[in-house]
Amino acid sequence: MNTVLALSQVVIKELYRRKDFYVLFVLTALITLVMGSANFFNDDKIVRYLKELCLLLIWISALFIAVGASARQIPAERENRTIFPLLAKPVTRGQVVAGKFLGCWLACGIALLMFYGFLGAVSISREHEWLVLNYFQALWLQWIFLAIVIALVLWGSIVFTAPSSNATICVVLVIGIWGLGRYLNHVALQEREPLRSVIYTIYFLIPHLEWFDVRDKVMIHGRGLVPWVDCFLATLYGAAYTLLFLFATWLGFRRKALNT
Amino acid sequence: MTAIVDIKDLRVEYRKGALGQGPKVAVDGLNLRVHQGEVFGFLGPNGAGKTTTMNVLLGFVNATSGTACLFGVNVNEPIARQRIGYLPELTYYYKFLTAEELLRFYARVFGIPRAETDKRIDELLKLVELQDARKRPIKSYSKGMQQRVGLAQALINDPDLLILDEPTSGLDPIGRMKVREIIQRLKNKGKTVFFSSHELGEVETVCDRVAILHQGKLVVEGRVDELVAKYQTNLEQVFLKVVGYQPAQV
Amino acid sequence: MAVCFTLGTCLQLRVEKWNTRAQSDSLLAILLGDGQRMFANHFFTKADVYFHSGYYPSWMDQGMATPDPGHMTEEHHDEHEEAEHEKAMDFLGAPKDWIDRFGRNFFPSTHAHLDKPGESREILPWLRLSADMDPQRIQTYTVGAFWLRRELGKVDEAEQFLREGLKANPDSCEILLELGRLYDENRHNPVHAGNLMQLALRRWDEQEQAQKKPDEGIRLQVLIFLSHVEEEQGNFRQALHYRELELSLSPPQPEIVKQQIEELRAKLGEEKRAEQTPGSKSQTLEK
Ligand SMILES: Nc1ncnc2c1ncn2[C@@H]1O[C@H](COP(=O)(O)OP(=O)(O)OP(=O)(O)O)[C@@H](O)[C@H]1O
Ligand SMILES: [Mg+2]
Repeated sequence: MNTVLALSQVVIKELYRRKDFYVLFVLTALITLVMGSANFFNDDKIVRYLKELCLLLIWISALFIAVGASARQIPAERENRTIFPLLAKPVTRGQVVAGKFLGCWLACGIALLMFYGFLGAVSISREHEWLVLNYFQALWLQWIFLAIVIALVLWGSIVFTAPSSNATICVVLVIGIWGLGRYLNHVALQEREPLRSVIYTIYFLIPHLEWFDVRDKVMIHGRGLVPWVDCFLATLYGAAYTLLFLFATWLGFRRKALNT
Repeated sequence: MTAIVDIKDLRVEYRKGALGQGPKVAVDGLNLRVHQGEVFGFLGPNGAGKTTTMNVLLGFVNATSGTACLFGVNVNEPIARQRIGYLPELTYYYKFLTAEELLRFYARVFGIPRAETDKRIDELLKLVELQDARKRPIKSYSKGMQQRVGLAQALINDPDLLILDEPTSGLDPIGRMKVREIIQRLKNKGKTVFFSSHELGEVETVCDRVAILHQGKLVVEGRVDELVAKYQTNLEQVFLKVVGYQPAQV
Repeated sequence: MAVCFTLGTCLQLRVEKWNTRAQSDSLLAILLGDGQRMFANHFFTKADVYFHSGYYPSWMDQGMATPDPGHMTEEHHDEHEEAEHEKAMDFLGAPKDWIDRFGRNFFPSTHAHLDKPGESREILPWLRLSADMDPQRIQTYTVGAFWLRRELGKVDEAEQFLREGLKANPDSCEILLELGRLYDENRHNPVHAGNLMQLALRRWDEQEQAQKKPDEGIRLQVLIFLSHVEEEQGNFRQALHYRELELSLSPPQPEIVKQQIEELRAKLGEEKRAEQTPGSKSQTLEK
């Protein structure tokens, strides 16, 4: 475990010593503040449109940070050949996978905290209330979402050789599932038999990432919290997929010759 | 005497050879034993299969046939790593870390206690003369400085067996001298050193035994003094002779 | 020399013509124009999404037409209408499988309207953006003004918004109607309101003559409003006139209109009698 933590610490250090996170954060803050300075019919309590915009930027930024960071972890280890001195030490390949995952995930968590802190500050200045539980729930579920994404991308980085193609494929896949996964059953019901079963199978196999996006319900439109039981079940569901992808990553990585 | 490194009939094939050809045989029927307390020089022209052999020893590449053992344990089992120090060739360490952070990270992997870690880092950085640069990110280091960082990380766990792949490449004469001293010191402490090199002069001075590999096959193995005596010339000439070098007609 | 000159001017004219045509018909302008209209529609829909607190069919919820966003301003007094809207908005249907059922915990999946005091301000930015994108989109102004003056008490902003819309669409009966309502209900200035309505009526007639097929419903509403305003001011004859016009448009509930006409006739009769017997006029007014 200590090894895994040490590995994750290196990943986190890498992420906060690179510039891309700060660029995305500043960009998000800037766009939000500019939009926030707009005057709509002299009403300074309007806040939902601003929350929606800021959350959209947060989701996009977090997705790119997560995918960008995890896509290059293992390929960079191999390209810079740091994997050799590392594996020459008492470190198993499973620990490498776990450490890389944990590092990316924790780094994304830190990034999310900063983003949500900013969002909270913006909305407090208008609403004069801060629904801590709502923020916590939204942040938590988004973090689980990112866990699935990171594990998926790590797996992709074993399967595909080029990090950029892996990142592109994963982003498309994630956005596809996130946006359309919910409707695959509708699509299936409109098709004829062989195809219908195929689509339905896909529908049951994919991780339903859209569950973890509770922006509309919890953050923007004030529809109250997701029941905590469901929140917990969704967490289990996300953890299951994360472990599945990590296991697949490990299976692929375990037997891979490293100097090719 | 126990064999620390024991290689038997090792054969390694790379599946992707040159286009249109069969698999590339990098190591062919290699037998090698390195004993406790020995400094062993592993020689051979470029592409002879030295790095490949070391990769097998560390479990990075799977042997096509044959076996390799470290401390009597098959290399497929990741048990013996605790006692090994390894310096790979051509490695670019985590650029965004400083030398100190890098060593601290590796020390943590070995589970070395914190106080002990601090002590060792100070010692090692002094040994490889990087005290002044210890708080700078590695990406700002010169090639030789990176090589020194590599050397320091290979020694962080005070290993019993050192596997060094061209430890002096990229180092200035003083650095080379330093490496020779380090190897000598380790030898005096009873450690085993297995290293590859193209610097035959230095091999001659520090090594007990050498092996020369050519196109994946072992061509010569023996004590340095015996070889020199047998061929009646220095190691460099021995090397050139056994790899079949013909001086160009002028 | 002269030939050269004339040729030159001819060419120049040609070129100018070309230029203007290129400007007005350029592909880019068309694309941008349509794009802007698309965005305006999108933002307007967004306002409706906010009105429903996020419960809204997405483009993937097939098998149902998107609800008419005009209902944002309709007050659902009518139970039948309410039920209709409720039915139209039941786009989710029963859950099809456990994923569907469980997933509904995570997004707004029940029908609701903004009803907390002041909450409706949240739809305003989208209407503003919609109007900026497509100033010719009349519904944006009427809906926006409705919320501004009815729910948020921002009569000045509502009037300004409507006037802005009127500037971009000088012929719009809808905007005139809404402006008239504002003057009557919020500024309590029925005279000005009446004038605006008459203007609306005139615009409507003009458009009919120009065979632009304006909305009959708008004319009906203008007429109802006008007769109401006239009646308030005691101009029963005018009010009657408008009611009769209204009846000719086959309103949804003609019996009520007929009854109103009867009442107006009765009032007119009373007025006449009162005129004949001076001194009793004040009595009727007191009534
Ligand atoms: N990943 C690989 N795929 C295919 N062939 C490889 C691969 N790695 C090495 N080889 C081939 O195996 C042979 C041995 O390579 P190796 O790196 O072991 O040589 P070396 O003795 O370390 O040489 P040098 O002195 O240049 O470091 C070479 O012919 C090389 O082309
Ligand atoms: Mg080599």
